[in-house]
Amino acid sequence: MKVTIKSWTGVATWRWVANDDTCGICRLAFDGCCPDCKLPGDDCPLVWGQCSHCFHIHCIMKWLNSQPVHHQCPMCRQEWKFKE
Amino acid sequence: MANTENQHNFDNLWSDVCHLFPILSHEKHEYLAQESPHDDLTTMQAIVSAGQEELVEQLVLTEVESQLRNNIVPVFWQRFSVLDGRTQSLDPFKDAVDCLYESLASIVPILQSLVLLRQTAQTERQVCGQSSLLETFKVMVRASLHSQLPLNYQAITEDFYRISFKVFCNSENKDAEQNESTEDIFQCAGCGQEVELCQCQSIINAFHETNGKLQELDLLERLAGDVLTTLIHRRIESHVQETCKGSFDVPHIGSLEGWLDTVVMGWLSRIYSSGSFGFRESENKSTVSSVETLSKMKQTLRYFLYETYTRTRIDQLFNIIIEYPDSEPAVEDLRICLQKIDLRQHLTQKLQRALETRLLHPGVNTPDILTAYVAAIRALRTLDPSGVLLDTVTQPVRQYLRWRDDTVRCVVTSLTEEGPSDLAEELSRGEALQLDDLTPSEEDTKNWESWNPDPVDADPSKTSQSRRTSDIISMLVNVYGSKDLFVNEYRTLLADRLLSSLNYNTEKEIRYLELLKLRFGESQLHYCEVMLKDIYDSKRINTHLHSDTNFNLDNQEFAITAMILSAQFWPQFNKETLELPEFVQEHLDTYTKAFETLKGNRTLCWKPQLGSVNLDIELKDRKVNFTVSPIHATIIWHFQTKNQWTIEELSQIMHAPATLVRRKITYWLSQGLLHEIAPDTFELVEESGPRVKGHIPADIVCDDEETESAMASAQEQREEDLQVFWNYIVGMLTNLDSMSLERILQMLKMFALQGPTTIEVSLQELRHFLDRKVAEEKLLFYGGVYRLPKS
Ligand SMILES: [Zn+2]
Ligand SMILES: [Zn+2]
Ligand SMILES: [Zn+2]
Repeated sequence: MKVTIKSWTGVATWRWVANDDTCGICRLAFDGCCPDCKLPGDDCPLVWGQCSHCFHIHCIMKWLNSQPVHHQCPMCRQEWKFKE
Repeated sequence: MANTENQHNFDNLWSDVCHLFPILSHEKHEYLAQESPHDDLTTMQAIVSAGQEELVEQLVLTEVESQLRNNIVPVFWQRFSVLDGRTQSLDPFKDAVDCLYESLASIVPILQSLVLLRQTAQTERQVCGQSSLLETFKVMVRASLHSQLPLNYQAITEDFYRISFKVFCNSENKDAEQNESTEDIFQCAGCGQEVELCQCQSIINAFHETNGKLQELDLLERLAGDVLTTLIHRRIESHVQETCKGSFDVPHIGSLEGWLDTVVMGWLSRIYSSGSFGFRESENKSTVSSVETLSKMKQTLRYFLYETYTRTRIDQLFNIIIEYPDSEPAVEDLRICLQKIDLRQHLTQKLQRALETRLLHPGVNTPDILTAYVAAIRALRTLDPSGVLLDTVTQPVRQYLRWRDDTVRCVVTSLTEEGPSDLAEELSRGEALQLDDLTPSEEDTKNWESWNPDPVDADPSKTSQSRRTSDIISMLVNVYGSKDLFVNEYRTLLADRLLSSLNYNTEKEIRYLELLKLRFGESQLHYCEVMLKDIYDSKRINTHLHSDTNFNLDNQEFAITAMILSAQFWPQFNKETLELPEFVQEHLDTYTKAFETLKGNRTLCWKPQLGSVNLDIELKDRKVNFTVSPIHATIIWHFQTKNQWTIEELSQIMHAPATLVRRKITYWLSQGLLHEIAPDTFELVEESGPRVKGHIPADIVCDDEETESAMASAQEQREEDLQVFWNYIVGMLTNLDSMSLERILQMLKMFALQGPTTIEVSLQELRHFLDRKVAEEKLLFYGGVYRLPKS
């Protein structure tokens, strides 16, 4: 007997490759979205800091905007710099 | 000397009196033959001057009464007891009445003489409470008749009226109704005779004559009243039954009223208006009284008609509801009748009982109950706009639906079903959901002027606002009182549909979702929106990955497409594991890499057991194409390396539970590719041989079994496990006849659960399982115990 696969439709879930499951700012799942968003993924992406912490982009932006002088990572208090 | 003189005078006077009233003489002929020397007037004057008029009158009336008692009445009643059983003729009754009439008519001259005597004496007296001697006489007749009433006098009377009524109905309907069967053409529908020998006219004549006589004698009511009432009531009942037979799509109340007014009342008025008034004082008086009698009868009969019709319709109400809205005319009739006659209580009880016996048991499946419930909501809303009836009657239905665990799923399914469905139609009306809310709304207080009290049978714990909820979907959701339950169920259903169709075509689902959003609100259905967007995005990603040669997807041995889901927004997937063949896994990994490249910082977690596979299978003598699930594909894949596998081995290599493998492998058995050579050991069938030849259709798309839910399959698997107990249960019931649920569980725990399988089973679970068996008619449940059906 010889089995030849012609096509395969699979089902998968996507997830962010991050060192945590939830955003340290909003406490919501990375794979979901921040409180201001409706759609996950492309519409509410994650960003990484040089300190290797990551957040919903909307969350960290809000956080940074509320810090008038020094932009610090809310987790480690190091200076926040976006990872390239 | 004077004595002799007196005696002589008296004898003379007596002889004159006897001549005047022959009834007083016991030797009639003697006086009748003799020529009297005096005329009647002289005799009367003599009586008056002797002061004996009262005595004479008394004597005469006594004689008349004894005539009545001893001759006339016995002869009359004798005619009623001669025959037993039915006659098909008017004659016995007619003859009896004729004879009575004649005998009584022979008394009339005597009464006239008495009247003359009173006039001569210029006195007025009352006898038997009547000042008129004719009335006195009638009282005596009635009293005599009554005192000798035989037991079964009604049979002959009834025949008389029954036959004549039939003739009458026939003559009324002659133009309206054609003969229904060809047989009847030779036979008159009225009298039952052959058409040439039709007796109808003579029957009608005899009928009028007899009624006339009875009316004159004031005996109609007394003699025929009860019979007439019974007869007419029976007639109304059978006419209503006949009318209500079959369809519910024609209103009947008008035609029934018409029938009563023309046919029945026509007949009655002929009965009461005939008569030549020979026995009457004045014509006017009798006309007035018969008009009065008739209008009173009409009123009573109308109510009887309404009641009969209403009761008949109430008996049919369950079927009427099922056929709603085709049965709307019947519902409308019922609504009108309920305003005239208060049978609400009766209706509630009857309908509840009908619902319980015909709907609310395990033998009826949930979609059917829902269909009936929806029809009931609509029909009862028409019947009683206040909503009280609906609320009360369907209370047990709601309670029952709450108890069934597939209700929500069925509602959601039929809401979004393709094709015409009541609920889908309701959904497209796009109203916002009205949920039970006990706080009075602003509208309630604003429209206080148009407020109406609720009917007395209303449940005081509910506001009339919530009762008047006209929206069917709201009523269904209110069975649970929670939107979330519905929305969650819808989400699971949507997930199942998307993952089983796997065709990326979401247009239809988006349309339903829009409708549901109108009902349940945007936020509740947000998750579903993301799910649909996932499917849409997956399609784009697939196209993108396959069109860009950098991803190397086209150099693969077979094409992979993927449904890429946002896990947070989908219902929990079941936790089944499955190790796919390495060859396949490599392909999936390539796809994952392509995705990672495309999306940066994101990766994929495959759900190996979900999806669909198209494969060719080449055997020694044939080549077949299949579309199957990944687990099926994996099973058959392994038979390439080794043509004999046990369940245990497959389970190990596939990292899948043995029960699952056992269940899935049956598909390949049914396709004739494998066969079980020993328990749990399977072998590849390389050559189909004569046994299965011709049994393998090519290009099989797995159906039924394969459409099972990716979400609920855990529960179904559970069902499969419980199946193991079925043999035990059958065995127990064969020996013990009947057992309660608790007892069955107890026994199972004692025996079946001791074996190598360590399955825990709850009471709840067992009940559902047994109920399903009841639905499949493999088990009976009544009186709180389960039995095996008698085979
Ligand atoms: Zn966040
Ligand atoms: Zn966001
Ligand atoms: Zn940090």
